[in-house]
Amino acid sequence: MNIEQTLQTAEQLLTGWNKESTHPESNRLDILITANDLRPAVTALHDAGWGYLSAITGLDLGVESGKLEALYHFCNGPAITSLKVHVPRTSDAVLPTIEDIIPAAMFFERELWETVGFQISGAKNTERLFIPDDWPENVYPMRADFKVEQAQPVAGRHADELPDEGVVGGNTFVVPIGPQHPALKEPGHFEFTVDGEIVTAARMRLGYAHRGIEKAAESRNWIQNLYLFERVCGICSHVHTLAYALGVEKLAQVEVPMRAQAIRQIIAGLERIHSHLLWLGVVAHEAGFDTLFMYSWRDRETVMNLLEQVTGNRVNYSANVLGGVKCDIGPEQIKVIKEGLDFLETRIRHYLEVVTTDAMFLNRTRNVGTITREEAERFGLLGPTARASGLVRDVRVEAPYGAYTRFPISAVTATNGDLEARCEVRLNELLVSCFAIRTLIDNLPEGPLTVKMPRKVPAGETIARVEAPRGELLYYIKSNGGENPARVHIRTPSLCNWVSVLEKAVGRQLADAPMLIAGMDPCFSCNDRVVTVRRTNEPTTWSWKQLREYGIEYYKR
Amino acid sequence: MNTLPSLLSILIFPAGLTLIFTGMFYEWIDRKLVARFQNRVGPRWFQPYADMVKLFAKEQITPKLANPFMFFGLPVVAIAGALTSALYVPLMGFEPVHSFPGDLIVTIYLLSLLTMCIGLAGWNTSGRFSLVGATRALTQMFAYEAPFLLALLGPALAAGSWEIKEISIYAQSHWMAFTQPVGFVVALIGLMGKLELPPFDSPEAETEIVAGALTEYSGRGLAIFKVGKSVELIVGITLVSAFYLGGLNGILPFLLKTLVVLLVMSVLQTLLTRLRIDQTVGLWWRFGTILVLAQIMLIIFLRSYPL
Repeated sequence: MNIEQTLQTAEQLLTGWNKESTHPESNRLDILITANDLRPAVTALHDAGWGYLSAITGLDLGVESGKLEALYHFCNGPAITSLKVHVPRTSDAVLPTIEDIIPAAMFFERELWETVGFQISGAKNTERLFIPDDWPENVYPMRADFKVEQAQPVAGRHADELPDEGVVGGNTFVVPIGPQHPALKEPGHFEFTVDGEIVTAARMRLGYAHRGIEKAAESRNWIQNLYLFERVCGICSHVHTLAYALGVEKLAQVEVPMRAQAIRQIIAGLERIHSHLLWLGVVAHEAGFDTLFMYSWRDRETVMNLLEQVTGNRVNYSANVLGGVKCDIGPEQIKVIKEGLDFLETRIRHYLEVVTTDAMFLNRTRNVGTITREEAERFGLLGPTARASGLVRDVRVEAPYGAYTRFPISAVTATNGDLEARCEVRLNELLVSCFAIRTLIDNLPEGPLTVKMPRKVPAGETIARVEAPRGELLYYIKSNGGENPARVHIRTPSLCNWVSVLEKAVGRQLADAPMLIAGMDPCFSCNDRVVTVRRTNEPTTWSWKQLREYGIEYYKR
Repeated sequence: MNTLPSLLSILIFPAGLTLIFTGMFYEWIDRKLVARFQNRVGPRWFQPYADMVKLFAKEQITPKLANPFMFFGLPVVAIAGALTSALYVPLMGFEPVHSFPGDLIVTIYLLSLLTMCIGLAGWNTSGRFSLVGATRALTQMFAYEAPFLLALLGPALAAGSWEIKEISIYAQSHWMAFTQPVGFVVALIGLMGKLELPPFDSPEAETEIVAGALTEYSGRGLAIFKVGKSVELIVGITLVSAFYLGGLNGILPFLLKTLVVLLVMSVLQTLLTRLRIDQTVGLWWRFGTILVLAQIMLIIFLRSYPL
């Protein structure tokens, strides 16, 4: 079925509620519905199995228009159907929850409420997820009329603090993991209620590294934002700029030269190798197999060196520019990359053997946290976590972009859906990535590296999706034709995969909980995108300007 | 009994200070070996000593909910138990300082004291992580203690004595690692369980429960527990090598044999993934205990009806 037919099917499914349908792009269909029709419309798409709910974007259409807009993006291959709902910008901004239909929507809805201020009627969980506990009520950072002065911290609100006693009653107690805990090097907070060794309930809180990047993007121009989004994540920095660049180039109708696209893909491949090897080490460490941890991180240095060779940086590569790439790959680098890949391939094959045959490691991974295909679909999982359950969710395959249109790759899947399958899928994916990088290097198209980009991007909106190491990364970009974007919404893959941890930890041993968290390869900094500095007992919120001045002063010393 | 020589032997040599310093040196060897196996540089030779000095110099924080008497007392009991047990084993290849028929049972009891103190310490501090850690430490103790005891009973039955001195003299003419291989393996792995070394480190699995039972300990208390562990390491190794590796009759054989045992233990630590607590218990009761029991039956049978 081609894209038009797929979109027509969606339009037919939604005819009963359709107020207005538009095609903002060739692969997209926007359908305006009323808030009351939201639940039946979502049920219709869900029951028909039309794609999956990929993200919910909330927009403030401005004080004059008096409207808020919510976009429910459903992705089906390359086709995207967005359900558009308009609600008034008053306290009547109410949307019905769809959490009971699609569990993954829970996190999206909470984000929608916290950042744009939609009230979600019927939501089971109304705890804050991203925004700090001392953030004032009814102040929403993504509203058009938001001012920094409004964000004065409310004293005496720290819902996070646990009761003094560790014991809840009898054998039951709460074991907190994070935000500072040896198991998680990144700040996230989980509370596992345990009865003896068995987990009976799980709860989580994010936002410890929330930096308000989406808000910051509105005050920066298109080029500055490229470097801002690079800092969303320290592990997959390249794919964030890639998604952003792809979106902006689409809006500006700029065709990127093939050579630049190929180089982007080579760097994305190297980044995937570094990310997955890092993950392997973390999982091995959580399992208590430090030898594998040390070895995989040692070998990861090889790929870090390759990335440094090509881009000049180890972490934030800054390889992308709008309209192309910054760095070229010459014959000398090709030689180095090939040598590096030879070494990495033998090591990856070795690790593949270890994770599938080492009896002691298998004790901790086989049949642990098994997610069936049906569950994966219901939770709305993405990336390697979904693929390990036999669900093909890979943007590179489903909706090829950039160089993948010319050099297609195949999706790696497994069927068991347990931690072992997740290890297997990720390592096999690395072999595919190695192969893809070789193909790209051998067939590197000739041509320029960049094309000229206009300073102002024409008005419009677009969705850019790329496959990050952890799964589908979605950028919704809206331009008003100015030098700055009107709205950029980022939906990172980790957000979709959390549900699986919370659901799967219950009933299992405490010892498996860190493994389950690590198993989906969470990336907290991606998830959390206001800065609160607490130096005395009085909480103070700093504005960007104050923080910047503090930073400059700090480094002068 | 002569008071002065006894006191000297308890405080200075072969127990006491000498033992503590050797124990910490063995700990360094273990850490260094594991580090090298894992492709790391590893600590320098004085690292365990430096750690101790640092910990002793640090402030000790007593949790609000803990009973202070127990909080300070438990580490002392733990190290006293470990040091006393050293009197009955042939340390450095010398004859044990003290011995009486049945001292094997006393030694094993004294060696378990450390684990029990750690369990109690975890329960006393009543932090979340300490409680889970204490439960795990005690559960694990019930798992390995029986097979470990049975594995040491094998040589005792073969030698026909319950006195460590007698058994090690008998062992000098009999390499029981070859005649009782199952017992040797179980004793070695049981020792790793006792010392909470990987793969039996779930009571202090940092990725789940931070530092387990000792999470709330800092400063002196922690240092004393650590020293206790080092002492137990060396006493345990001495016991196993005296029983199974042809006895210890001199300082050279002592060093050689105990270091070989330490090497084997480091290799195992490097190769194995941590077991969950249910897996540990399952392993010991399903395999360890049954295999050792079978061997003991065989020994009793062979002694009663020689071939």
